Amino acid sequence: MKIFLATFGATCALLAGCSDPKFDESSQTGPNPALPDPKEFLLPPVNVAPGKGWPANRTPVVAAGLQIRALALGLHHPRFVYTLPNGDILAVQAKSPPPEPVKRPKDPIVAKVKNKATSYPDGPKAESRITLIRDADGDGTPELTTVLLDKLNSPFGVVYYEGTLYVANTDAVVAYPFTPGQTKIAQPGRLLTLLPGGPIDHHWTKSLTISPDGTKLYATVGSNSNIVENGWDAERDRACVWEIDRATGAHRIFASGLRNPNSPQFYPGTNNIFVVVNERDELGAHLVPDYLTSIKDGGFYGWPYSYWGQHVDPRVRPQNPNMVAQAIKPDYALGSHVAALGLTFYTANLLPPHYRGGAFIGEHGSWDRYTPSGYKVVFVPFVNGRPSGKPETVVNGFLDQAKGRTFGRPVGVAVDRFGALIIADDVGNAVWRVTPAGWHPAGAPPAAPTQRR
Amino acid sequence: MTDTRADTRPPGAGRAVLGGLHALLGAFPLAYFTFAFVTDLVYTRTYNLQWQYFSIWLITAGLVMGGASIFFGAVDWLVTRRSGTHRGAGWHILLTLAAWVLALINAFVHSRDGWTAVAGEGIILSGIVALLMLLAAGMSALTYRRDAR
Repeated sequence: MKIFLATFGATCALLAGCSDPKFDESSQTGPNPALPDPKEFLLPPVNVAPGKGWPANRTPVVAAGLQIRALALGLHHPRFVYTLPNGDILAVQAKSPPPEPVKRPKDPIVAKVKNKATSYPDGPKAESRITLIRDADGDGTPELTTVLLDKLNSPFGVVYYEGTLYVANTDAVVAYPFTPGQTKIAQPGRLLTLLPGGPIDHHWTKSLTISPDGTKLYATVGSNSNIVENGWDAERDRACVWEIDRATGAHRIFASGLRNPNSPQFYPGTNNIFVVVNERDELGAHLVPDYLTSIKDGGFYGWPYSYWGQHVDPRVRPQNPNMVAQAIKPDYALGSHVAALGLTFYTANLLPPHYRGGAFIGEHGSWDRYTPSGYKVVFVPFVNGRPSGKPETVVNGFLDQAKGRTFGRPVGVAVDRFGALIIADDVGNAVWRVTPAGWHPAGAPPAAPTQRR
Repeated sequence: MTDTRADTRPPGAGRAVLGGLHALLGAFPLAYFTFAFVTDLVYTRTYNLQWQYFSIWLITAGLVMGGASIFFGAVDWLVTRRSGTHRGAGWHILLTLAAWVLALINAFVHSRDGWTAVAGEGIILSGIVALLMLLAAGMSALTYRRDAR
């Protein structure tokens, strides 16, 4: 009885604290986010919204002057979208890699809780495949939706260059001979470079981009833990962006200390590479802000030793004051636990001029706090190639606040041939397309000529 | 331990089993919780995470086996309490329960990621729990010896 009472008392005490402290969320976006003191918990705040999919006739909600329609529904966990030179859109779908080996009693419990958020019982099952969507006339109704590549190994990033389609699986970059217009790839790919995969493959999404001159690929490799709790050996060549020579497959670490970087993108017309990064968990609802940053060759951005420059993380041993001193402050905070995964720069003319030159960012949504954050697509204005001003919500309504469930969750973002914004929605199993309200593709530009093989 | 000796009736097999299970299972948390303190100490000196994993598994296993031991001990106590007072049993009960509750809190502390799962609250709780378990076991041994006379 005493045990029961004691346990009951402890549970009540824990439940009593089940809300995040009051905080001005807007103080945590932009170049100088407010950073409260780190907090550690008996039970860290967790609020996972289970998925339920989109009811018929329901869509995400867009900002004034825009409209949104589903370009594809019933996909199998689409996480990334990419526009080919001829206008075809690739939807990269991925199964999570096999579960990590259990090291602590906590591990299977956390895995179970997080899984609740990424699928729903009667929805389509995740597959590791790339689906090609062709909407040549741009009316939002594809003429063709077909599987281009199947049975991949948890792919995420994809990039096309001169007759080759590069796919970043979770364990390797694979190159496929490909001509835009093609709707099926039958030949096996050529292994370009191995990437760090399992057996522990904690942050497994490897995204990909190519340098403006086409000589180098850039692949993101996330850390193998929250804060090195799987040991230092597991972190070799991780938490960084790799530069891969496109011709030879040789690689080197381009920038490091990036806990879970995704969607590397060159700012149009420059050699500046930007990336969105998911920062560490379990230091409180308002630590540490995820961010958008440009990365320098050889730059170190803090993980695991410190965050946002020189804020030392108390959970790391041995500490490394030299690395802390070197840590570069990121450019622009997006808010804590928003889980920014998608990034694309807007240079087209279709959407209102206000969006030209800025960045769209897909925020998958939080789990490590009570008040949800993220679960939307935001726009970050840029001035002179640098983020400037507060983020604006462009696409919202993924979260059913009243019922604490998600219709969908945004991940990768891209811009199609017409200039519409394309969004991968992994829980909703959809690809969404955002255009100006009432827009019809009358003056659609002709498709880019197919590039030589 | 079985306290059927104060009873004039021949010891019932059921009671002997209850007391035996309580004692047998109780040996596990005594060993596990004290060893978790040792593995905590080693972790803080080596930073080798393997020792931290040892600690959290030892604490978890100690909670499970300790929980079972407390259950059988409680049933045994309810059954035998009318057949005479056992001086020292009160301390044994109090110390064991306190150790179990603190170990439960410690399991949550030890489930944090990295250094602060152990350093600070973690290793202090491990030390207190180990001490309480040793005291509780000592009390139990004294009670047993006195009752056996």
